[in-house]
Amino acid sequence: MTGRTSAGPAIEVQGLTVRFGDFTAVDRVSFRVEAGEVFGFLGANGAGKTTTIRVLCGLLEPTEGSARVAGFGFEDGGTTIKSRVGYMSQRFTLYNDLSAAENLAFTAGLRRLEPAVLKSRSEELLDFIGFDADQRTLVRDLAAGLKQELSLAASLLHDPEIVFLDEPTAGVSPAGRERFWKLIARLTDKGKTVLVTTHYMDEAEHCGRIALLSAGRLIALDSPGALKSSVFPGPMLELDPGPGSAESLQTLSGAQGVVSLQPHGRRFHLNAQDEASWKALEARLPDSVSARRIKPSLEDVFLRLVEGTVR
Amino acid sequence: MSGLFSLVRASAMASKEVRHILRDPFTLGLAIGLPVLLVVFFGAAIDFNVKDIVTVIHDADRSRPSREFAEVFAASGYFRLEGPRPGDGILSRLDAEEAGAALIIPPGFASGLRSGQGAAAQFVLDGADNARAAAILSYLPGVLASANQRVLPLSGAMPEALSPASSLEGGLRLKTRFLYNHELNSRWFTIPGLSVMVLGLLAILLTALTVAREWENGSMELLLSTPVTPLEIIAGKLAPYLALSAAAMALLYLTARLGFSVPFRGSHLLFAGVSLMFLLASLSQGLLISVATRQQQLAMQLSMMTGLLPSLLLSGFIFPVESMPVFFRCFTMLLPPRWFMTACRGIFLKGAGPVELAVPLLALGLLSALLIAAAANRFKRDLEP
Repeated sequence: MTGRTSAGPAIEVQGLTVRFGDFTAVDRVSFRVEAGEVFGFLGANGAGKTTTIRVLCGLLEPTEGSARVAGFGFEDGGTTIKSRVGYMSQRFTLYNDLSAAENLAFTAGLRRLEPAVLKSRSEELLDFIGFDADQRTLVRDLAAGLKQELSLAASLLHDPEIVFLDEPTAGVSPAGRERFWKLIARLTDKGKTVLVTTHYMDEAEHCGRIALLSAGRLIALDSPGALKSSVFPGPMLELDPGPGSAESLQTLSGAQGVVSLQPHGRRFHLNAQDEASWKALEARLPDSVSARRIKPSLEDVFLRLVEGTVR
Repeated sequence: MSGLFSLVRASAMASKEVRHILRDPFTLGLAIGLPVLLVVFFGAAIDFNVKDIVTVIHDADRSRPSREFAEVFAASGYFRLEGPRPGDGILSRLDAEEAGAALIIPPGFASGLRSGQGAAAQFVLDGADNARAAAILSYLPGVLASANQRVLPLSGAMPEALSPASSLEGGLRLKTRFLYNHELNSRWFTIPGLSVMVLGLLAILLTALTVAREWENGSMELLLSTPVTPLEIIAGKLAPYLALSAAAMALLYLTARLGFSVPFRGSHLLFAGVSLMFLLASLSQGLLISVATRQQQLAMQLSMMTGLLPSLLLSGFIFPVESMPVFFRCFTMLLPPRWFMTACRGIFLKGAGPVELAVPLLALGLLSALLIAAAANRFKRDLEP
């Protein structure tokens, strides 16, 4: 393995556009990921997350724009990129009718790893993911969380410097998801760059920076904290209509000083322009309504931003 | 570092396929056992030999040579002579489908023989069933030959005096079909023919599902995210299935030889070589289908369509290629079974050598190369959502 010659960005994307026929899956997206970052991709289904990742893994050539991964582009059809990155697809890509060890050996063969390297790497990785089952167990007999972790191990066999994880925790139990994110944190401890997509907003809090995608466009890019304070500069409140009707709260939307009002189950999240306008609003609330100050979640940020671009 | 073709990657692919096969006893059993089962089953059922054809005899001559002539027909075992229904025309039983043929010996049969002018008899055949008629026609030269031997001495005439009636000449033309099958045993060609059909279809089906399955399972993303090339994937998938189908072929060979006593007059090495070429071509055809469709169900349907009917109808198994219109004769050249059918009959029954089989061998090699190139070319490295 030859190291990177320059300490440039791990990923650099300029005006990346991917079209399938008339459909534009990714629309002029530009961003940079520094080495060692945990970079999150957030967006609804069809927002272009997977397509972008596939380009960055060398699986898909950009229609327009450029993408450089670990310093390499598509001059050779993506082959060098493929040898430098690890990719874990959102679909389960290991073979159910092969054992854990056989799956790893197969992946190692495709990457032309020496048997000795395979042996030491798979021992290291199985230890890393805490694989406690027999290696000869057929993959179909493993628990869902363990399968995902084995997938991760397979994508790390060749010791890639950049790892792409496309919804790695989909269909995994909450405990399994937590475990998986600990693994991701340990990967960055080892100096790896991780680009991860997720549906779970709470998971996105683990990312150093987040890119929000909507309909193929990059609509926001910042750290979770900065996103929250820039999108919601004013106070954020959770309103509980109590025994009274929710209609009284609906009238608040569009009222003076209200930036947004989003239903969350029975409750509502209200974002006020500033402290003064909240004071004025609070006075007008019916007695049955109780208000509680909350920190905006990424979900609030996401809904607000996507709403802003779609309308 | 990673060249165009890496043996390491291809063999990683191949050993993975071997594991798939071994883990799936159903496919394994299907691949090895089903061909033998099908060939035995249909081989026993399909019998192109026709025996005891009810033949209406009308002997207007009523002489000793004419009776002897009719007796030769009866003694052949192919024809069962029966008289016409009283009061009806000679051919009415053919119309009623009670009889398959009629032998009409005109008056003056014996006197014609004696005078040395020759004698003619008319043989009327129900042509509605083509295969049956062809079989019956093919028996006539043999029957005529023995008639010449037995009837002529009785009349004391010249040896060539008994000339076949015009309706019999059609039979002489088909003589070539049974030239190397003196006993006119149809099993000798149905068994190799069936084997070609069944194995060809099996080989196509075996590989047709493999690439499509990777797409459907999602494992194609794993393959494509590594530097593995289409040609390595294809080679890695071909090799194990070539071994598997070769085993099925060997078993079929034993079945044909031991179970059906089909003679084998050629070289085993040559047979093995041409078999491998045929299997390679068929497996490649399956791979091309799989690469192009990416869906198991569609791949299955396309395999059946392109694997079954052409090898049944256009390979020369049932209908001779020589009698097809020019377009179809050229079209059959694209079909691996057509070449293997030719080669098989040549090796089994005629003992054909490498010189005679050069064209089928070359054609199969060319087809394999073309199909593999097409599959590698069609292989999509791009993933679309």
